[in-house]
Amino acid sequence: MQILKDHAKPYWRDITFSILAVIVMAGASLWQPRLLQNIMKAIIADNQSQVMQYGIQLLVLAVIGLVAGVINTIFAAKVSQSIAADVRANEYKKIQSFSFGNIEKFSAGNLVVRMTNDVNQVQQLVMMFLQSLTRIPILFVGAFILALMTLPRLWWIVVLMVILIALSSQIVFKQMGKFFTRIQKLIDKTNTLAKENLQGVRVVKSFNQEQNETTRFTENSDELTHVNTTIGYLFSTMIPMFMLISYVAIGAAVLFVGRGIIQHPSDLAAITSFISYLMQIFFAIMIGGMMSTFASRGFVSLARIKEVLDTEPDLTYDTNAEDLDLSGDVSFKNVAFTYPGDQKPALENISFDVKSGEMIGIVGATGSGKTTLAQLIARLYDPSAGEVTVGGVNLKHVNEKSLRRAVSYVLQRAILFSGTIAGNLRQGNQGASETELQKAAEIAQAAEFVNRYDDNFEHEVEERSANFSGGQKQRLSIARGVVGNPKILILDDSTSALDARSEKLVQEALDRDLKGTTTFVIAEKISSVLHADRILVLDEGQLVGIGSHQELLQTSSIYTEIYETQKAKGANA
Amino acid sequence: MTDIKRAIVYFAKYLKRYWLSLSFVTVVTVISIYFEVKAPVYMGQAITELANYVGQYMNPQTQQTASMTPFYKALGLMMLFFVVTAITMFISSFISSRISAEASGRMRIGLFAKLQRMTIKYFDTHRDGEILSLFTSDLDNIFNAMNQAIFQLLSQFALFVGVILMMFNQNVKLALVTMASTPVAIIVAWFVISRARHYIDQQQDATGKMNGYINEQINGEKIIITQGLQKESIAGFAPHNETVKQATFRGQVYSGMLFPLMQGLSLLNLAIVIFFGSWLVVHDGMDKSVGLGLIVVFVNYSQQYYQPITQITSIYNMLQLAVTGARRLSDVDEQVEEISPVNGQKLTGVSSNVTLKDIHFAYQENKEILHGVSIDVQKGEMVALVGPTGSGKTTVMNLLNRFYDVTGGAVTFDGVDVRDLDLKSLREHVGIVLQDSVLFSGTIADNIKFGDPEASDEAMIDAAKQANIHDFIMTLPDAYQTKVDDENSIFSTGQKQLLSIARTILTNPSFLILDEATSNVDTVTEARIQAAMDNVIAGRTSFVIAHRLKTILGADKIVVLKDGQVIEEGSHEALVAEGGFYAELYHNQMVFE
Repeated sequence: MQILKDHAKPYWRDITFSILAVIVMAGASLWQPRLLQNIMKAIIADNQSQVMQYGIQLLVLAVIGLVAGVINTIFAAKVSQSIAADVRANEYKKIQSFSFGNIEKFSAGNLVVRMTNDVNQVQQLVMMFLQSLTRIPILFVGAFILALMTLPRLWWIVVLMVILIALSSQIVFKQMGKFFTRIQKLIDKTNTLAKENLQGVRVVKSFNQEQNETTRFTENSDELTHVNTTIGYLFSTMIPMFMLISYVAIGAAVLFVGRGIIQHPSDLAAITSFISYLMQIFFAIMIGGMMSTFASRGFVSLARIKEVLDTEPDLTYDTNAEDLDLSGDVSFKNVAFTYPGDQKPALENISFDVKSGEMIGIVGATGSGKTTLAQLIARLYDPSAGEVTVGGVNLKHVNEKSLRRAVSYVLQRAILFSGTIAGNLRQGNQGASETELQKAAEIAQAAEFVNRYDDNFEHEVEERSANFSGGQKQRLSIARGVVGNPKILILDDSTSALDARSEKLVQEALDRDLKGTTTFVIAEKISSVLHADRILVLDEGQLVGIGSHQELLQTSSIYTEIYETQKAKGANA
Repeated sequence: MTDIKRAIVYFAKYLKRYWLSLSFVTVVTVISIYFEVKAPVYMGQAITELANYVGQYMNPQTQQTASMTPFYKALGLMMLFFVVTAITMFISSFISSRISAEASGRMRIGLFAKLQRMTIKYFDTHRDGEILSLFTSDLDNIFNAMNQAIFQLLSQFALFVGVILMMFNQNVKLALVTMASTPVAIIVAWFVISRARHYIDQQQDATGKMNGYINEQINGEKIIITQGLQKESIAGFAPHNETVKQATFRGQVYSGMLFPLMQGLSLLNLAIVIFFGSWLVVHDGMDKSVGLGLIVVFVNYSQQYYQPITQITSIYNMLQLAVTGARRLSDVDEQVEEISPVNGQKLTGVSSNVTLKDIHFAYQENKEILHGVSIDVQKGEMVALVGPTGSGKTTVMNLLNRFYDVTGGAVTFDGVDVRDLDLKSLREHVGIVLQDSVLFSGTIADNIKFGDPEASDEAMIDAAKQANIHDFIMTLPDAYQTKVDDENSIFSTGQKQLLSIARTILTNPSFLILDEATSNVDTVTEARIQAAMDNVIAGRTSFVIAHRLKTILGADKIVVLKDGQVIEEGSHEALVAEGGFYAELYHNQMVFE
């Protein structure tokens, strides 16, 4: 709610216009039965000029109502769109301030939903609020008061009708709420079944399971049909029932007016407007009930957006720090790290020093903390204890620009953005010239396929980079990592989809062309880091060995064990 | 227009069986509408009688004979008509809600069953998301339309006709006046709707682009962070956001305008009717009490008359969506299905060999992928297929299991063309392990027994043991009854592969096709997978699309495929000695994509 208030503030003038228009609209429709009544009176009194006069009033009223309705729509649309756009922009900005930890907490897919569907819901909520939600209470209260004013002695009919409808709708909506949750679950399940059968269509077919899967789906679908039917039955009972209540109210009104007509002959003209007010009350309750179910969905979305906006990035940069040209020295001093929400630390008591230009391999089993360690060098997370320094400076005192210029991290999963190859490579260095791009591509062994395109670096990258193979994507993402000529380069298992020959060529090129760069190579295969200056061996978050391949074979039993199992498997490796 | 025709054909197909209920609903609806429009007549009559009574009562001469009886009679009839309206409405909506729920249920099942019968080609040429939207969006739109629009359309149309008839019955002049503004209303509605559609198209287009951007950027957020590109990303987002804002604003204004516009017009029309009505009463020298009653009646009619016009314009969108949905579903209905030859020979196992004879194949016309490939697998042999990405390895697998038919040559089992074999028996004897492991929701047991739900638990456990996954399953609290859930999977990629190997082992196929996974798994899991594969291959005739050195070394024969042709064939030693393409691959350590 607070979010809505904050974002609505700049548009208070438009909101006022739209609400004023709603009030005029509601007023017009409330006044209309009243006018009708006057016209009836005038007809009964045979007052020709009065009939004319009221008739013109009615025409004017219709025009006012129409114009007010259109004005309201325009302002409501303007306000709801502006608020939605602002919310979206703020949410997007917020997400862009997130760290790895924040992103992982929400998950990317979840954030996308909160940016798209949820904002959409909020926009509809605002639109509905400005268009109808304000109108309903005005109509209800207005019609209620006017009905009482029209035929005061029949006040009890109005009250009784409202109570009856409110009570029975309460009961029905409660019933329906239960079914709606059940139906959502069934719909989800049906969609899951359909989805997994699409993804596994080859499995289903090769196991001849088409019939069984259809049966499984049918059972689920039948249950859904059953609940749908029940809800349908509820609706078909509810609406005629409400109509019947209002019909009885109308009948009673006519009856009691008839009975007392001798004492109150003027009631004769009032009866039609009284009935109109009864109907307006009836519709106000009905529409109000339906709106509130829609509105509750909007509020759920609002809460989800709030969660994003209220999240503080768990990692911020020292904006007062001056720009630094960091060297490639890296040092860890008693570093420990625990992922938020985890009990067990991912890294414990890690200390080592690396000199500029060294090539460092990082090996260890899955879950031993290799990626975690590398992420601390790029300050994608802050250590829970100890300190990480680059070029002798604690990373906490380095501003973001200096850090990113110095450290380049090539992720395990190669992701390219739609656009051109050049656009993707320049993400690593905005001002890179064509020659620099070519050089980076050569280092990453991407030049051979890039140069085969007629448009070279201007070649299109399709959505989901569907026009590149896994190996090509990895090579381009390595090129993006080296184009900025970083002081520190981290390759997180980034050559897994490359064949051994290309992998070797990449490493030779790195050695030759990025001599001054400190390189960290995370690898599953020891063969990938054999020639590293030093290798860090991790085991369950502990640094259990450090040294060259030959040294480690002497000193580290864990390293030797990994090496032996891989050697046995890999023939002539 | 053809869209509408196809939609009608589609609806007819599923609604045919309800023809009796549907005609009943139609009759009841017409009755209901009749009572609904007739009721105000009695209300008017009651007021007329009341006015008469007052007039007579006030006149000293007739005071004695003044009677309330006609008033009560009219009132009683009004109530009777009201009650019948409510009851008939209840009956018709009760039945129609059942029909819409059941018919859309049948459509859903029909769609699923049809998909199960279709050829793999359809699934390979359409995105999953696209097909899935048939379930999530199109069927949903149809159900909503049936629930809220289609029967509405019927009753609104009946109401429209009913009101017109009643109006003419009451007073021709007033009826004509009431209807006079209709062309204006329709032109206005048509104009607004077509503008709204135009802008909503633009809006959807813009929203699609923006969502695409959001999706790509947020999914690549880690790259944005590591490259420090947050500002650039926000700058790229701003114009998308602005375009969506503008486009949606226009779309919303036009679609939101429709309702107040129609309601305003209806009110305007009401004013005209009252205006003219009272003028008529005064000028035509009509009896005052009759005139009063007439105006009351026409006030009601004029509102009822506009109701269908307003309603139909507001359900127009829903109907449009349902027509599109029905068209898309009937597109699926027209897709070709897999054909099994009538009285096809039943495959009972492989007794001599499986061969590909001079195979030519193209997914698209004029784009041949395989150019005369011949491979022979003798019973009990293990043949490894190697080659670079795009050489056609996966295509060969597609042909062996008859996911696709060859365009030239033949695939034979013991000399019989697969096209002459009973499809079910072929797939019963051909086991397949795919590169990407897919699990289904249900328990682990359900997944292992997927190919043979009748299998005993012993057989299942045996298969799991052979696939090296039994020990892991036993560490889970619910063991084999552990639920497999697509969303938050408890299995790693490697474990999924082991489960899918167990699934294949259980069916004990006589011929095995194995597409090795290339994904990265740690060395321990990799060793497990290798052992599981050795177990499944042992003693079977098999065909492996190989990526691992170990698998290739163990093969009886290696076939090297490149650009859709077999370029080398023979044992590992022979091929290495030959010093050709394979030898080079081998020396580069045999890591392929």
